[in-house]
Amino acid sequence: MAAKDYDVLIIGSGASGGMAAYTLTKKGVKCLMLDAGPLVDFNRDRVLKPVYELPYRGFGKPGRLTHVLQANEFNANQWVDETQVPYTHDPKEPFNWVRVRMIGGKSLFWARMSFRLSDYEFKAKDHDGFGENWPISHDDLAPFYSRVEPIFRVSGRKEGYPQLPDGNFIEDNSPDSAAVKRFSAAANERGIPVTKMRRSLGQGQFASSFNLLLPDAMATGNLTIVPNAVVRDITVDKNTGLANGANLVDRHSRRELHVKARVVMVGASCLESTRILLNSGIANSSGVLGHYLHDQFYISQSVQAVMPEARGGAAGRGFGGGGYIPRFRNLKTKEKNFLRGYALDFSMGGTPDAKYYPLYGEALQKAMDADRGAGFSCTTMGEVLPRFENHVSIDKNVTDAWGIPALHIQCKYGENEFNMAKEAIATMEELCHACGWEVLTRHDKMFPPGYSIHEVGTCRMGDNPKTSVLNKWNQSHDIKNLFVVDGSSFVTGGSQNPTMTILSLSMRASEYAAEQMRAGNV
Amino acid sequence: MKRRRFFQTLMVAPAAPALLAQQAAAPPGPANRPPAEDSKIETVAADLAGEPVLHFFNAQQFAALKRLSGILLPPINGSPGALDTGAAEFLDFLMGESPADRHQIYRLGLDALNAQARKLHGKLFAEVDAGQADALLAPLRQPWQYDPPADPLAHFLITAKQDVRTATMNSREWNSAGAGSGGRRMGGTGLYWNVL
Repeated sequence: MAAKDYDVLIIGSGASGGMAAYTLTKKGVKCLMLDAGPLVDFNRDRVLKPVYELPYRGFGKPGRLTHVLQANEFNANQWVDETQVPYTHDPKEPFNWVRVRMIGGKSLFWARMSFRLSDYEFKAKDHDGFGENWPISHDDLAPFYSRVEPIFRVSGRKEGYPQLPDGNFIEDNSPDSAAVKRFSAAANERGIPVTKMRRSLGQGQFASSFNLLLPDAMATGNLTIVPNAVVRDITVDKNTGLANGANLVDRHSRRELHVKARVVMVGASCLESTRILLNSGIANSSGVLGHYLHDQFYISQSVQAVMPEARGGAAGRGFGGGGYIPRFRNLKTKEKNFLRGYALDFSMGGTPDAKYYPLYGEALQKAMDADRGAGFSCTTMGEVLPRFENHVSIDKNVTDAWGIPALHIQCKYGENEFNMAKEAIATMEELCHACGWEVLTRHDKMFPPGYSIHEVGTCRMGDNPKTSVLNKWNQSHDIKNLFVVDGSSFVTGGSQNPTMTILSLSMRASEYAAEQMRAGNV
Repeated sequence: MKRRRFFQTLMVAPAAPALLAQQAAAPPGPANRPPAEDSKIETVAADLAGEPVLHFFNAQQFAALKRLSGILLPPINGSPGALDTGAAEFLDFLMGESPADRHQIYRLGLDALNAQARKLHGKLFAEVDAGQADALLAPLRQPWQYDPPADPLAHFLITAKQDVRTATMNSREWNSAGAGSGGRRMGGTGLYWNVL
């Protein structure tokens, strides 16, 4: 028999699982990693095709991937097939659960926006009285952010904003375009900060666990990866109450197997990890497992404008570029209609979509030709309050292709988010007018929850075992050799992309776990 | 004969040396050709060989859609228009594959367009003159709103404006004319993911 005991079983190979493997294997810990998807050969599994050769001319197969608004006909097969791995929700309250199952997970496809959380998030309750604080502060996580950022080669401009701590950046000293300068000046006059986008440059075509973490872990000789291993549940030793491994189903053959390990680290993504724990019937003495689901609401193309002076072919002469506005509301002042805040990213130099013009035929084409490269657009990313009632549970009536019970998701945005969105769009429109730009359209309609792919919070950490699933080391309060290292551990999400925080938490938790193993505590 | 030569070529391909070694003797027949010369089999896409068979719209609806598509995206600056690229025919196929809510948008909208044309001009939309057609498309001159209009005709026209553009600009004819914008979704080339 080839099967054997491993020191640590890691479930998931994306940002969190990959960082766990990277950290643990370098400390000599023997790890077994399971992922529900295949190891992709990017040269073999992707082919260049003209859009007219696709069966649906780029429209995509109707009715497929209705929750994955990021999907198109080219990349449809990269996403999890909802008929194979279904989930349920109230039809009136959709949740867009966007999933990837392959070695590297969603870290293969993320937008690379790379931010730290600040103490406005870690200690949010202290600031405005809502919800709970994290059991850690930025100071606790800062050393790990500083080690993660060089691995992912995060670029950015240091600003000293308390609400968006600077990182260990590759300094982005590129000059701003004239249009960005004008926009920044209009924003600064109103007390609104503008900075460069902070982004993971990665290496080659990826900034992923696939190329930045797993190869180093493999090189230690301490990592075994099993692809196509769909985890059914985590198993527990009845005598000790400790986790001792997991049951899995082979994706292709559907053969069932059991793997054993001394410690289990779950990093299968927020909701998949939660589903595994709920299906295992463990780690929930608090009763909050699956609760406090939140993400960031997104409004893409929330304001579409045209820079008149860039019309008629003048675009390109200083009218490109973009930037990022970090949260600026509810820092030193208090908004009347909402708590917390939102961030915006904006870009210039594109051409507004045809749908925004009240024209058709030749007149439409002439208008678009004149506006080519003169467009301005922005995306609003707002903090969502963590609420107990937004939660997931197991739907016992629905199973996936491997007979594993599916998740039921109950989540909706509230007045705080809607009020925040209205204010964000009005502010952005005001800035465009201040710059002398023509606003073609504006709207404050959010995508359904889940769209941002930043879902967090369903295994939240805390000092109190009665109100949290994990302690400050991402370790289960109930089962000391069980760690959950992905975004499900968040207490609040802020308006920042969560990936840098997930990576840093996973590194921190993995170092703690390795030390606890060395000391014989787990 | 061609099929036979194809298999003979496979037998001498470098990827199969073990198989070749097992052959007791070369089979009778013409001498083998170099692989590069023989292994090309050219095919054409079905839509280059046949005409679309229409299933979804009735005759009046389809005639209205065809007329509309030509107005929404005529040939401009050497680029083919919607009529040149079979956009309406493609949308007939796409609607046949689409969920019921999309059916409703198109069927109700096209029926409303024909009803309006008949009421105002005593003709179907396909038969009205250019000025009359332009007047019937007034909802397209309204500012864009995020929420689709409640009026079925306006909802349809806004939907069709986008769909006709996509069907046209993602067509083979658009690409062949060199009119592609280079975008992945509009006439361009992209990395297609095979089934994993």
